[in-house]
Amino acid sequence: VIAARRLGPRAGAARLAIDVRGSLHVVGVLIKYLSLAFAYPVAIAVGYGESPWPFVAAGAIAAAGGLALQLATKGGRVGVREGFLVICLVWLLAPAVGALPYLFSGDAQLTSPIDAYFESMSGFSTTSSSVVTDVEELSHSMAMWRQFSVWVGGAGIIVLALAVLPRLRVGGRQMLEVEMPGPETDLRATIRDTARRFLVLYVLISIAMITTLTVVAWTGLDDRMSFYEAVAHTFTTLGTGGFSTRVESVGAFGAVSQWVIAFFLLVAGTNYALMYLSLVRRRPHQFARDEEFRLYAGVIALASAILFVELIRQNLASGEEALRHAIFQTVSIITTTGFASTDFNEWTVLAAVTLVALMFSGPCAGSTGGSVKIVRHLIVGRILRRDLMQTVHPELVVPIRLNGVRVDERTLRAVVVFVLLYVGCFALGALLLLVDAARTGLELSAFDAIAAAATTLGNCGPGFGFAGPIGSFDPFSGASKGLMIVLMWLGRLEIIPVAVLLTRSYWRG
Amino acid sequence: VRIFVIGAGQVGSTIVEALHDEHDLTVVDVDASRLTALAYRYDVMTVQGDGTSRRTLQEAGLDSAGLLIACTARDEANLIAAMFARMVAPDIRTIVRTSNVEYLDVWRERQLDVDFIVSSELETAHAVSRTIGLPAARQTDVFADGQVQIVEFDVEADHGRPDVIGPPLKDATIPTDSKVAAIIRGGEMRLPRGSERIEVGDRIVVIGSPEAAREWSRIIGPEDRRVRDVAIFGAGSMGMAIADLLLEQGIGVRIIEKYPETAQAAAEKFPGARVYNATGLDSEFLERERIDRSQAAVLSMRDDAKNHYAATLAKVHGVQTTIAIVHEAASREVFEHGQIDVAIDPRSITAEEIVRFARDPRTQQVVMLEGDRFEILDIKVRPDSEFVGKPFRELPMTGSLIGAIIRDGRPVFPHGDDTLQPEDRAIIFTESSRVAEVERDL
Repeated sequence: VIAARRLGPRAGAARLAIDVRGSLHVVGVLIKYLSLAFAYPVAIAVGYGESPWPFVAAGAIAAAGGLALQLATKGGRVGVREGFLVICLVWLLAPAVGALPYLFSGDAQLTSPIDAYFESMSGFSTTSSSVVTDVEELSHSMAMWRQFSVWVGGAGIIVLALAVLPRLRVGGRQMLEVEMPGPETDLRATIRDTARRFLVLYVLISIAMITTLTVVAWTGLDDRMSFYEAVAHTFTTLGTGGFSTRVESVGAFGAVSQWVIAFFLLVAGTNYALMYLSLVRRRPHQFARDEEFRLYAGVIALASAILFVELIRQNLASGEEALRHAIFQTVSIITTTGFASTDFNEWTVLAAVTLVALMFSGPCAGSTGGSVKIVRHLIVGRILRRDLMQTVHPELVVPIRLNGVRVDERTLRAVVVFVLLYVGCFALGALLLLVDAARTGLELSAFDAIAAAATTLGNCGPGFGFAGPIGSFDPFSGASKGLMIVLMWLGRLEIIPVAVLLTRSYWRG
Repeated sequence: VRIFVIGAGQVGSTIVEALHDEHDLTVVDVDASRLTALAYRYDVMTVQGDGTSRRTLQEAGLDSAGLLIACTARDEANLIAAMFARMVAPDIRTIVRTSNVEYLDVWRERQLDVDFIVSSELETAHAVSRTIGLPAARQTDVFADGQVQIVEFDVEADHGRPDVIGPPLKDATIPTDSKVAAIIRGGEMRLPRGSERIEVGDRIVVIGSPEAAREWSRIIGPEDRRVRDVAIFGAGSMGMAIADLLLEQGIGVRIIEKYPETAQAAAEKFPGARVYNATGLDSEFLERERIDRSQAAVLSMRDDAKNHYAATLAKVHGVQTTIAIVHEAASREVFEHGQIDVAIDPRSITAEEIVRFARDPRTQQVVMLEGDRFEILDIKVRPDSEFVGKPFRELPMTGSLIGAIIRDGRPVFPHGDDTLQPEDRAIIFTESSRVAEVERDL
């Protein structure tokens, strides 16, 4: 009997093809390190004479919980397969830990757990949809924690997008693989090497932006900008999750600050691998040659032009202001950041449709932005063109290239599958939001439901109607908020890792 | 000069045929029967053995040789033979035949210690491209960096301008800067005296400037045969080399390849070409893809019989010109009697190229016509030649004819009153049996 008992759990483990123990160990380590992030809001709280205890407590829980998980699951081996489980769990748990300060603070706007989790998921997934109705009511430290969670989430996404997802071959990400040092034996070591390089770049660009905005503030170019705001908005610009400390979002600042932020948004939506090649390795011509970057620039130019003409035609703005709002709103939405330089909820239908369309575009892959990403649109377009050509010429051989290099059929399939899943999740999300709104008697138009599903799945942020840029997601029911938390999570992980976890063959040999 | 020829296959034999009169040849091959056949026809020394064996080369007396020609069908064997030759006889000159364009690139970067390297693929591609430039031509070759062209035409019924075809040559309106070098009628060569006529069914050899060559192409062939699009059947190394060159010249290329992987590789290599994964023997496919929109079809599949079949099919579907690569020597004859307008034999082109280099240093370039019955030489005139200073009309009409001379780098197409000057380079059409005589006289 004793022998059988001893064999029991082992036999079970042998049948399970995934090393759950090892995966939990990694999750524990990561949560433990996440506790370090609470040091920053603690410092802010102390500096502004606010209570640091919500952050101290949350940090202590994260450190203790992470350490306990780490120790309880010692040993185990994490490979590519376990990677799916790890990232799914981390992106569920990190926002949960990040939500603790909101709960502990006792702020009336974030007391319910679902609201706190929504807000935190929105931050860590760099979405910036908010249930807070008046941001300016939040304390300095709490507002800054919200901003900072986006920056931490952004750093996580850089690791995810450039080091983890390519190795997990998610949604055709393998074509982005920058460099693969050594064989794929230890996932952690290879990811560390790749990630370090891009995180340094992320920090350097952040410093550059803080410096620029601070100079703008101190030289008097924009008297509404300050060092505090410069830091707060740099976090959410680089993380492409447009939380703001102001109700009017970036509209609260002057034109110069808006132009500066627009420029850094553009940078934040660029592939970090491309920036690394062109800036660090000094090959600037790479920008002009990169097909994804060229299309990214093209789409921005086109959408800005449409918005500009529309703003002028409808007398909503004129001159520099019209140009600024058109460009700012385009880059803000295409990079899935979600800042507002003005309340675009008041714009026309054509402008609204343009912005929702941009939510499906997303910026370059390998950036912190969400949504489908330009490169996948490019690939799908080429697959489409090839299929139309082959309808007429069945024997024609048409290799699909990206930047002159052939993309293999497996990758192409992965891209198509991703786009289909993305559209499916979006449609289902929009439908469920409408059903739930009908159930609870919430007044939600079909367009606003579509925008809300698109904006959360695309990790963009603001929607239309009451969930517009200066509005709030608070009116949604708890069930709808729960659904949108799932959408943000799915969108951030690019759906496939979650879908993989749902298959039987993932868990069994 | 004592010359070692490694390999007695088709290329080796052609080289022996061209060089045995003037040089002391030693032929090395593993196949005794090939050597016997060669020794029976020519006065050459034969050594049965492995050309990549240093001892074989040494024992055969390589150290006293001045030139080694490694022309087996195996690239690596040729390179190794050349390397050993350098060791055994440091002053020897070496020529290597290769089918790999990459070796050629390496050699151009001076990374290969070989004096001359000939790539069959590249030479063949150039031959195809020249033919495409002159659609009515059977064979073309260029001299003096392209300033002089030698073209072989078949005079067909239906086409052909009556002011040139029919009347005696002295009355015919021959394009300026050109000369009829020979008329071949029923396998017999006739010297183009003023009273001779060009008739339907003749094959003529013309020497002239590139413009004159194009004018001749218009005289012999139908109007507007300019080739803008070429269909290449077979994406092997030969097909790829041809596609590469044609694309470089701005000609549209369609490639038809049976094997999916090969087709995929071709499509990857040439973004500018359209690649089909099809056999090319499929009539329905050729019709659907409007194969007749290609003015020329190049048949470069590995199987001569398939090339022949596909060429016929292409003709049926309206392709004007068909050019086929010959793999078996015997196929050439079959091709020329069938629906193939131009048959290009990579081995004879390779042999030609090698012979050019191996000849008398005064002789720069050699072209062989009609198999190897006729040759065209590019030879520098000695100052003490008895022909220097004589007007052309007084030169003897034997079996040779000076088609053009290169004077100070520029081509001159001589008339009867012109005279031959020392240091002129004469481009001479001659019977192969008279090559030695011509070299002696000039």
